[in-house]
Amino acid sequence: MMESRLLRVNLTTGEMRAETLPHALFERWVGGSGINNWLMWEHFLEHDIHCDPRSPDNVFVFGVGPLAGTGSGSGVKGRITFKSPSYGIFGDSAAGGKFPYMVRFAGFDHIVVTGRAPRPVYLYICDGNAVLCDASHLWGRSTGETHALLQQELGDYPSHTHTLTIGVSGENLVGMAGVISDASRIHARGGGGCVMGSKNLKAIAVQGSGGIKVHNPQGMLKWSADFRRRIDANEAIYGFKRRGTLGAVEMYQHIGSHFWRNNQGCLFRGDEVRSDNWVRKYHKYSEVCSADCFIACDGRYKLDGSESPKAAKYAGESFRRPEYLTTASAAGALDVRDWAEVAHWGKLTNEYGMDNQDLSCSISFLMELKEKDLISDRDVAELFGRSQRLEWGNMEDIEACIHDMATRSNLFAELFNDGPYWGALRYSQRKGQNFMKYATYGKGGASFTEEMRPFPTWMNNMAVASRGADHLKGIGLIEKFQRRDLSKRYFNGRTEAADLTIPDLKGASTALIENQVALINSYGVCLFHWMLDPAGFAPEEYYQPAFTEVTGIARTPEELMRDGERICNLEKAFNSRLGLRREHDTICERWMYEPTTEGMYPGSVAANMFEPVLDEYYEWRGWDRTTGLQRRDRMEALGLGDVADVLAAEGALARE
Amino acid sequence: MSNPPQKELVTGQQWYAPGAEIPDVDQKLYALQNQCTDCNVCEIACSLVHSPEGELNPLLSRIRISHAPSVNSRKATHGFGFISAICHHCGNPPPCAEVCPVDAFYYDPKTNVAVIAQDKCIQCMECVPACPFDVVFVAPDGELLKCDLCGGEPACVEACATRPEMNNAGKQYTRAPVLFHADAKAFRSVMQQKPEKRDEVGMMQAMLERGEISSSA
Amino acid sequence: MIRIHTQYQSRFREITGIPGETFELEQPLVSELAWKIAGKYGDRMESLLIDRETNELNERGTMYVDSKGRRVYMEDRLTDGETIAFLIGIAGG
Repeated sequence: MMESRLLRVNLTTGEMRAETLPHALFERWVGGSGINNWLMWEHFLEHDIHCDPRSPDNVFVFGVGPLAGTGSGSGVKGRITFKSPSYGIFGDSAAGGKFPYMVRFAGFDHIVVTGRAPRPVYLYICDGNAVLCDASHLWGRSTGETHALLQQELGDYPSHTHTLTIGVSGENLVGMAGVISDASRIHARGGGGCVMGSKNLKAIAVQGSGGIKVHNPQGMLKWSADFRRRIDANEAIYGFKRRGTLGAVEMYQHIGSHFWRNNQGCLFRGDEVRSDNWVRKYHKYSEVCSADCFIACDGRYKLDGSESPKAAKYAGESFRRPEYLTTASAAGALDVRDWAEVAHWGKLTNEYGMDNQDLSCSISFLMELKEKDLISDRDVAELFGRSQRLEWGNMEDIEACIHDMATRSNLFAELFNDGPYWGALRYSQRKGQNFMKYATYGKGGASFTEEMRPFPTWMNNMAVASRGADHLKGIGLIEKFQRRDLSKRYFNGRTEAADLTIPDLKGASTALIENQVALINSYGVCLFHWMLDPAGFAPEEYYQPAFTEVTGIARTPEELMRDGERICNLEKAFNSRLGLRREHDTICERWMYEPTTEGMYPGSVAANMFEPVLDEYYEWRGWDRTTGLQRRDRMEALGLGDVADVLAAEGALARE
Repeated sequence: MSNPPQKELVTGQQWYAPGAEIPDVDQKLYALQNQCTDCNVCEIACSLVHSPEGELNPLLSRIRISHAPSVNSRKATHGFGFISAICHHCGNPPPCAEVCPVDAFYYDPKTNVAVIAQDKCIQCMECVPACPFDVVFVAPDGELLKCDLCGGEPACVEACATRPEMNNAGKQYTRAPVLFHADAKAFRSVMQQKPEKRDEVGMMQAMLERGEISSSA
Repeated sequence: MIRIHTQYQSRFREITGIPGETFELEQPLVSELAWKIAGKYGDRMESLLIDRETNELNERGTMYVDSKGRRVYMEDRLTDGETIAFLIGIAGG
């Protein structure tokens, strides 16, 4: 029997209540992400779903799945779920570290925060008790400073203190503000930090000396030992242990999958940044880890200033080693060519607490306009309130932009704080000129710094991901890595899913992988153990015994896939209630119509395959092709009849 | 709940009179300390394997990971790197057993590990400062926790994943997990192993520095 | 006899210690290239490169491409002078 507790916090009244989460909720929603979604769905049955996401009517849900911290060695990921202030649609984001499992030791698996505190507060949870504390001394501080102060204040008893914090960007209601876990890992996407800031919630701090109950400990230990052996036997994973996702830098450079200068190109320039040898040159300190992880892909660096001519400016700076998207947003979108500066970008965006994807694409959009003389020096001065060079790769420029955005101190920040789509639209309207073809974005207006035009599944991901353009819902691994073995396995021996030159089985791949990813996010573990594929396993098969050993819930792989599909459908239902239809499953002009000019797949555009792939995605999902809406029969088959009723009442269900 | 594990994992209880000759532990725990990543799986596994209620909790673990101290002090500070605080299975009787006012220690006949008999222990905590390595821990409910080597198949060692060949300070170790259950000689030979020539990541670094390959190769 | 150039990245380069090399093949097949590399660099390379259950190229976590960015398989034919790159298949997150 799954024993789990939820903490409800009403910041307006200060009321807090602990509830037991019924076992049936885990049977329906698996846990983690799945239960978060349900908690938000329930909230918006009683509150206006069309509310301003920065208003007290929005909800902020934190959750951690049942496998997190149980010795699965698959990492722990906390999940935040909310209505996105930047995209105006379903929002969620994950991050690891130690905070997520400490919440479990403190006695809760989920936290639901509603309302707005009258003044800045932090939520302090300790061994089943919760209290709202004054955060006026923390307000205005960086995420790192806030974390350190809370650790000092709360000490090491009954356990170390772990935190979720927002930076000044969240305080200033910047739409792209994220939430930082333990000062070093960010829930970046969708503006969760803005939601916390709008509630005057600066941080959540936890301490816990309780335990987590596991249904069958011996079974879990046995599963864990087998998983560890598979990880240890996999040669490719040793590379990942050394460098994390930074390994994608060379791979993408080879095939042409980077996002260079606002995606005008797809290869990094600059000798240094085209390789991950940085890992050996700069990466001088310890390897570190999220909790409960056999891979331990993270690392910490400290610059001594001698690593490069530009490193001298950052001597003494220390942080987590950059990952791929930190690199793509700096060395790619903004053409920063020095690794010390890439690392500095990573540190700043974390300290201020902002999504590096939307931030970099907002800046790179303007840099391209300037490069092409579409805006003048005077226009730039108007945007920034000072003269600004807006030069590619100029870290001083970029640092000023980061500060502007976080403090929301000029027109640039006002226009672009919800990301590049809204920024480009607002700026175009203001100037009476159409600059939209230079903006890079997908669904919801979210951006993503990878070259995806040669990859029809990825373009589909950008158009359909429930939380806005993103690959971490329907990760197009089968196609990008041309995995014939997975295509054959999942599609009855067919290989088309692995052929990126044709549209066949691309929408199907998105649908399949979205279901699998939903499971991983609901188990509460990291995606990369599955993504790295140590033994050709799948989340619904390999993790199935672990799920049962931990929760006592018996499941077949087919049932788990249906659970994953159910979870995805609830996310879709949320967006349907907001009025999203097929026409919102869309991507920007550049991705759709402008061909790639370099890399291994020149001449690629999304338009060639976009519509048939989208059609196929809807077909595999069982959604109406014209409207994109869900159908009752499929909803009933998934046990979502109650959800279908809500949709039907609002005209958000496909007509029979 | 099925298959609840025993609280102490021992093969039996061997009691010795005070002053008797007690054989030493032959195969102890060792750690490649600078390889530890603070993943905590050892703490989780240790607590889970010792819990009859199927509860895992790092605060019930008999192995603890802490930040490596950056000053000469046992108090953990936020230096870089992590230390696996493991029981060193001192020569028998170990200091923790020697100070016990009620002789609440017995020995596992298979491993010769000293184990606290919880029913005799009066929780006076004398063993805590007596331990030269600060690895006798106090659980939240006051119970004293000391490593029992899991009867000879330590769960922490089973849980410890292998690290790649080189750590980031440029020092080379062969590919290995952090934790070992071994005799002293065997562990020393692990420490002294050189990686195979072709696996030498250090060789890559040396070639980079000599300019034989470029950083963008 | 044909000459094929190889490029090694990431874990492949860590095992070989070099960024790339040239092989002479009697049969212009990927399989001959793959087994030559596995034989030259030992167990770790073989485990990375070859799926020991099927004797096909290991697709999990790896990516082998020709100069057009197409993944190659054991049965594929090679052209004299072409380059095959051995990459690790990883996406950002």
